[in-house]
Amino acid sequence: MWKEHYRIGSELIDSQHHELFDRVASFIRAVQEEGAWEERLDQVQATLEFMKEYVVIHFNDEEALQREIGYPGLEKHAAVHAAFREEIRQFAQRVEEEGFDEEKVQEFAARVMTWLIMHVGREDQRIGEFIRSQGGQQ
Amino acid sequence: MKVEYINPFYKATLDVFRIMLNLDVQRGQLRAVEELAPVSEANVVIGVTGDLRGSLLYSFPKEMALEMVTTMAGMPMSKLDAFVCSALGEVANIISGNAVTMLASSSLACQISPPQVFIGTQGSLSMATEKAIVVPLITPIGTFEVSVSLSSPQG
Repeated sequence: MWKEHYRIGSELIDSQHHELFDRVASFIRAVQEEGAWEERLDQVQATLEFMKEYVVIHFNDEEALQREIGYPGLEKHAAVHAAFREEIRQFAQRVEEEGFDEEKVQEFAARVMTWLIMHVGREDQRIGEFIRSQGGQQ
Repeated sequence: MKVEYINPFYKATLDVFRIMLNLDVQRGQLRAVEELAPVSEANVVIGVTGDLRGSLLYSFPKEMALEMVTTMAGMPMSKLDAFVCSALGEVANIISGNAVTMLASSSLACQISPPQVFIGTQGSLSMATEKAIVVPLITPIGTFEVSVSLSSPQG
């Protein structure tokens, strides 16, 4: 899933993005694999747990970078992060209460995939453009 | 139904396909139809409310739909299951959201409803008296259609 052109020019953020794409890819694999749902659940659960924590770390780091470089779109970007964090939290809460329904998890995986591609492929690239306009690498 | 409402949907598709799929999109010949009817297997309907009201129908051939999600996920998809359908719904949702944002810059404030995905070419969506304009969108992995039926309550 990860593409080299997603790099924005910050080593930390680029490696976190790479990790996120890899994790989402393995999440999709676990969700889409053949075989009994019960047998794939461990992997699904583990990835969801990881994602819940990792997006918090990554969003914080990315917002810290934006503050550091004086990125003008910080406030709007942080609001987008907050909305997505909330979406993941709500989904995690829902599966805790209602259990892991295969179809619901498939739908959620698709939502996370499309969100990540659009967010990193568009919004985050604007941070990269800003870094380059300021004269280079962090 | 004004043709001016169409361009934002083409521009948004162009943008979203470039970012999500790294694909170019060309616009085919527009045509007017009496009702929103699916032409292909994988369909997404999105409602619009606000200064413009109506419906949008995205109709993807099965093979194209699978190819799109294969590209996004980086792994082969072979059936129109909940994952693939949900991903298609999201793509249509993102395109529609971006198009509506462009309409807002023409002082038309609209909201969109969550995408409804359905499989098959049976039936049509009942509408008010408005006609729809169908926009064929040609890509290297296939052609899909967006039907736009929007009208202004103020006339």
